[in-house]
Amino acid sequence: MTEDSQRNFRSVYYEKVGFRGVEEKKSLEILLKDDRLGILPPHHESHAQVMLWRKEQYGDILHALKVVRFVSEATPQVEVYLRMYQLECGKLPRSPSFPLEPEDEVFLAIAKAVEEMVEDSVDCYWIIRCFVNQLNNKYRESLPQLPKAFEQYLNLEDSRLLSHLKTCSALCKLPYDLWFKRCFAGCLPESSLQRVWDKVISGSCKILVFVAVEILLTFKIKVMALNSAEKITKFLENIPQDSSDAIVSKAIDLWHKHCGTPVHSA
Amino acid sequence: MAQQANIGELLSMLDSPVLSVRDDVTAVFKENLSSDRGPMLVNTLVDYYLETDSQPVLHILTTLQEPHDKHLLDKMNDCVGRAASRLPALSLLGHVIRLQPPWKHKLSQAPLLPSLLKCLKMDTDVIVLTTGVLVLITMLPMIPQSGKQHLHDFFDIFGRLSSWCLKKPGHVTEVYLVHLHASVYALFHRLYGMYPCNFVSFLRSHYSMKENLDTFEEVVRPMMEHVRIHPELVTGSKDHELDPRRWKRLETHDVVIECAKISLDPTEASYEDGGDSVSPQVSARFPHRAADMAASPYIDTQNSCGSATSTPYSSSRLTLLHTPGQPPQALSPPSTRLLTEPPQATLWSPSMVCGMTTPPTSPGNVPPDLSHPYSKVFGTTGGKGTPLGTPATSPPPAPLCHPDDYVHPSVLQTTATPPRKEERTDSSRPCLHRQHHLPNDRGLELSGGKGSVTLSDLPGFLGDLASEEDSVEKDKEEAAISKELSEITTADAELLVPRGGFDSPFYRDSLPGCPRKTHSAASGAQGASVNPEPLNSSLDKLGPDTPKQAFTPIDLPCGGASDSPAGTREHQTPLETSILTPSPCKIPPQRGVGFGRGQPPPYDHLFEVALPKTAHHFVSKKTKELLKKAKGNTEEDYPPSASPVEVLDRLIQQGADAHSKELSKLSLPSKSVDWTHFGGSPPSDEIRTLRNQLLLLHNQLLYERFKRQQHALRNRRLLRRVTRAAALEEHNAAMKDQLKLQEKDIQIWKVSLQKEQARSSQLQEQRDTMVSQLHSQIRQLQHDREEFYNQSQELQTKLEDCRNMIAELRLELKKANSKVCHTELLLSQVSQKLSNSESVQQQMEFLNRQLLVLGEVNELYLEQLQNKHSDTTKEVEMMKAAYRKELEKNRSHLLQQNQRLDTSQKRILELESHLAKKDHLLLEQKKYLEDVKLQARGQLQAAESRYEAQKRITQVFELEILDLYGRLEKDGLLKKLEEEKAEAAEAAEERLACCKDGCSDSVTGHNEEASGHNGETKPPRPGGVRGGGGSRGSGSGELSTPEKPPSQRAGPFSSRWETTMGESATSIPTTVGSLPSSKSFLGMKARELFRNKSESQCDEDSVTIRSLSETLKTELGKDPGTEGKAPLSLDGPHPSPPTPDSVGPLHIMDYNETHHEHREG
Repeated sequence: MTEDSQRNFRSVYYEKVGFRGVEEKKSLEILLKDDRLGILPPHHESHAQVMLWRKEQYGDILHALKVVRFVSEATPQVEVYLRMYQLECGKLPRSPSFPLEPEDEVFLAIAKAVEEMVEDSVDCYWIIRCFVNQLNNKYRESLPQLPKAFEQYLNLEDSRLLSHLKTCSALCKLPYDLWFKRCFAGCLPESSLQRVWDKVISGSCKILVFVAVEILLTFKIKVMALNSAEKITKFLENIPQDSSDAIVSKAIDLWHKHCGTPVHSA
Repeated sequence: MAQQANIGELLSMLDSPVLSVRDDVTAVFKENLSSDRGPMLVNTLVDYYLETDSQPVLHILTTLQEPHDKHLLDKMNDCVGRAASRLPALSLLGHVIRLQPPWKHKLSQAPLLPSLLKCLKMDTDVIVLTTGVLVLITMLPMIPQSGKQHLHDFFDIFGRLSSWCLKKPGHVTEVYLVHLHASVYALFHRLYGMYPCNFVSFLRSHYSMKENLDTFEEVVRPMMEHVRIHPELVTGSKDHELDPRRWKRLETHDVVIECAKISLDPTEASYEDGGDSVSPQVSARFPHRAADMAASPYIDTQNSCGSATSTPYSSSRLTLLHTPGQPPQALSPPSTRLLTEPPQATLWSPSMVCGMTTPPTSPGNVPPDLSHPYSKVFGTTGGKGTPLGTPATSPPPAPLCHPDDYVHPSVLQTTATPPRKEERTDSSRPCLHRQHHLPNDRGLELSGGKGSVTLSDLPGFLGDLASEEDSVEKDKEEAAISKELSEITTADAELLVPRGGFDSPFYRDSLPGCPRKTHSAASGAQGASVNPEPLNSSLDKLGPDTPKQAFTPIDLPCGGASDSPAGTREHQTPLETSILTPSPCKIPPQRGVGFGRGQPPPYDHLFEVALPKTAHHFVSKKTKELLKKAKGNTEEDYPPSASPVEVLDRLIQQGADAHSKELSKLSLPSKSVDWTHFGGSPPSDEIRTLRNQLLLLHNQLLYERFKRQQHALRNRRLLRRVTRAAALEEHNAAMKDQLKLQEKDIQIWKVSLQKEQARSSQLQEQRDTMVSQLHSQIRQLQHDREEFYNQSQELQTKLEDCRNMIAELRLELKKANSKVCHTELLLSQVSQKLSNSESVQQQMEFLNRQLLVLGEVNELYLEQLQNKHSDTTKEVEMMKAAYRKELEKNRSHLLQQNQRLDTSQKRILELESHLAKKDHLLLEQKKYLEDVKLQARGQLQAAESRYEAQKRITQVFELEILDLYGRLEKDGLLKKLEEEKAEAAEAAEERLACCKDGCSDSVTGHNEEASGHNGETKPPRPGGVRGGGGSRGSGSGELSTPEKPPSQRAGPFSSRWETTMGESATSIPTTVGSLPSSKSFLGMKARELFRNKSESQCDEDSVTIRSLSETLKTELGKDPGTEGKAPLSLDGPHPSPPTPDSVGPLHIMDYNETHHEHREG
């Protein structure tokens, strides 16, 4: 309460717009300084041009895939995205029937989530592609650290729950892949997921940890009631969706609490 | 009381012989009944009927209307309760229900039913029992739903009576027992037909008891051998068959037919088969065409007629039909027992059948209607047959067009001689025999054994027959297989019949004592054959035997007819026999005509009666008795309008009366044939027995008639279907005609369609040629258009080039102009400064000169002073004044100098601020530059990603192509496809190149621009080194279109460029270029400014800016060759050595030099 009252009354609005601090000019500059995903350059003048290129690139790849008969009209859009991405990475398998790699599954999960959020297929593809690229490049080092961080924060928040997980030896079996590699795609509904991914795209992959912690805290009673690692994992993989908004809000609060306010203010 | 008396009077008047009186009285009664609702009148009537057996009363009672039914039933119930009136009450009940009054459904609730059942269970009188059972059997189909309550009573009655048949409690006469047996069989049939499941379960439980086993073996089992398995046993259940809903949709006649269906009895079953099961095959037109009757259409018609003969008409008609029909039997064996009558057949038509099937069902209201088609038909047939003959023998009281029923009796009456008693017996006997053997091979036996029996043998033969009385079972067995044998039997019968015919005359001849026997036999056999000549038309076809047969008997009757005027009664008897004989089941008996001469055992025929098709026997037997007893007994009160049935009934009754009357006169045929023959008086017991038998037979006859009525009902319904089917067929035919018409239409349409198609194809061809022409034109035009397009493209590119050049040149012009302006400004400033400094120099020169002059004057004065010591003071003073003056002068001079210094300092400040502005501008420029750089980088990244993507796509394509090649090679098609491969590879390369070009277009364009600027600057350099301005022209030409050789148009531009550049190279640079070389403060500042610029250029690789600055430098720099070193050399203390060109102007500028020169100078 006190903290809230101390904060500028406009901060809520600012946060909504994406500002961390009250000094909007600085915040704006920080916001506009660089393009987080790299889909469009920061310069407005070149947006049309670049977007045209992006579209053409999308069309070219799609056309190429169709030419080599990798995709057809019947192929699900998500798989089309996957094949396009594979082609761009040069990882396109020799045949569409080859089994998918785990990373492809991750891609598919993310793509499915993004597809729900974005209507235009070109935008969708680019967002997926850049998001995955960001995960693969920018967070390559930090993602494997997240489970440890998760343990640490969980300990801070609720050590009893952590010890319960440890006694169940469920700690190492938690769905880290779902949480950190897929960034909760398929775990949270898209509306909530958007808020989490905003942070991730903005450069904080730690928010994932807090969402995970918050999920555990929210379903603490149920998790405590379950005694086997498999059951816990199964439950966490299929958490009820109705409370997801609350989870994300709390997770963001938790993130503010532990990592201080804005990343860019530091 | 008065009323009572009145009623009594009226009742007695009812029996008045005067028809009109009777009618009146009947009307009065009916009126009374309609007005009076009380039970009194009905009770009186019933009592009276029970007392007198009065027919009119019976008629009234049977047509009682609704409110009186209850009284009637109550009354009858009452009577049934009393043993004395039980029998007449039962027979009354039988009469009533046979007419199916509208209130018949109430019977099931009436107390009469239980009391009837009770009576059947308790009574020991066989006659009562038989009558009661027959009544019950008649009633059952009317109230099938009553089975629910009384089923067990029915079964109990059956159980009791069946055991009676065997055990014969008390001293029951065998004769009666046979009747009882027959009725029990009928009951069995009905119960099994209506409630098979319940009945079978009853049989199972009842006869599983040991004490009943005998009864079962002896009585029930033979019965069971004559029925087929009831389908309900398979599909139904006990509850289902008692379900009222099951019965609701069945009418009485339906139930009767249902029951008949399950019979295996050849005759019974034969009509049943024809009735329903076969009808679908015959398309319902000839519902009675049974499988074995399929011989000829005549038979069908005959069947349809015959089976419809429940009415008196039909029966009488049958007499006619039958007579000619018998001969056909001989000719057409497959027709078996059914008579085929050609004339009848020819007359047959659907409408006639329809007409025939609509006779009134109740004999009560049967006034013959001439307008009815059937009556006409029969009238005509009758006319053909009998009536034609009758006029010859005797004048018939009835006209030809009279209804058959009436005609026939009259005919018979006239033609038939009153047969004597013996004859009657004889005739009846054969009938009995016939019936006996009818179903089967018994006939064969007879044909073999008995057929040849002569009169002399007769008594013995009869004795044999009598001994066969208990062979009922045998009979039945034979009946069971009679179907298979029917053909054989008929074949035999053919033989037998004529023989019989021969026999009888023969017999008569040989035994003159009883000549009429033959006649009666013949007449009994063929009632209508009495008139042989008229029938010849039909008989001709029948073969030679028949006429003979027909003739012989007739002669005598004819003669006899005149003998006995009282023959009415007796005439009817032959009619009766004949009436019944024609019906399908009765035909066989006639075969036996010749054989059954002897007196049969009295009950023998009753076994036949016991079978369902008994009525005819019954009648024949009755006739026999009547003829025996009532010969000569005439009753003239026979109402001419009475229906044959009534006539029949009355006949029987009167016969019975006659019998009793004649008892004393005549001996009766009894068990012992001897008595009859020898005139011994029969025991009184015998008389009673015979009377009872008569009664029983009458009952059975009535029962059979009832059954026939039901058949008639059914036939009517079936024939309605026939008409409907015919109508539908006609409709079908009409539809077919329509269809044909429409097909024709379709044909016409098809032809026109073909024509239209041909025309359209022609038009299509024309259109095609037009189209191809137009296409070629279009192609031509397109080709032209393409050429033009290409040309315009070329021109466009040229135009574009020119525009580019112009734009560049303009840009350069602008730059140059700005430079010129700038330099002009600088120049003016510098020239101002120059003029200032020049004036200052001049002043200084002047002052210096003055100073020199004053110094010389001073030396001069000093010399003068030294020379003139004396006036030193003066000199000193003068010198002092001069010094003062000079000091003042110097001071003012100094002041002037200070002022000048101030102005220059101000000027410096001004310039410095200017410099700061410039710096700021530069900074902004840098920022913008960075911005642009970022933008370019972003775009570059996007482009790169595109390029990467394209590269990947190409890789994928290559992979795919290689894969495809691999496959192609594998397929061994390599040789063929080598060329294609090369082509494909080329195409792929081309495409790749295209893709690369496409994607890198913008980037390279940018680069090209940059390099273009570079190129622009470079060429001038060497030119500058050589000092030749002309070489620049070519450089600039190259620059504008690097790829293309410089076009000629570029000439003017380049020349103009040349000139401008030349100018700038000659005049402007020298002045500007002097700036850096000067060591003045201004020069220093300018140098700094440029150094900053160049430094920033060094830091950033923004190509445009560098090129700009470079051009600037090259233009400004005195030595373009050392341009690269310029930044370094600028820092150096000494400016680069001036070129010869710029030396001149620099002289003016070089402050030190001029000063030096001045000094030197």
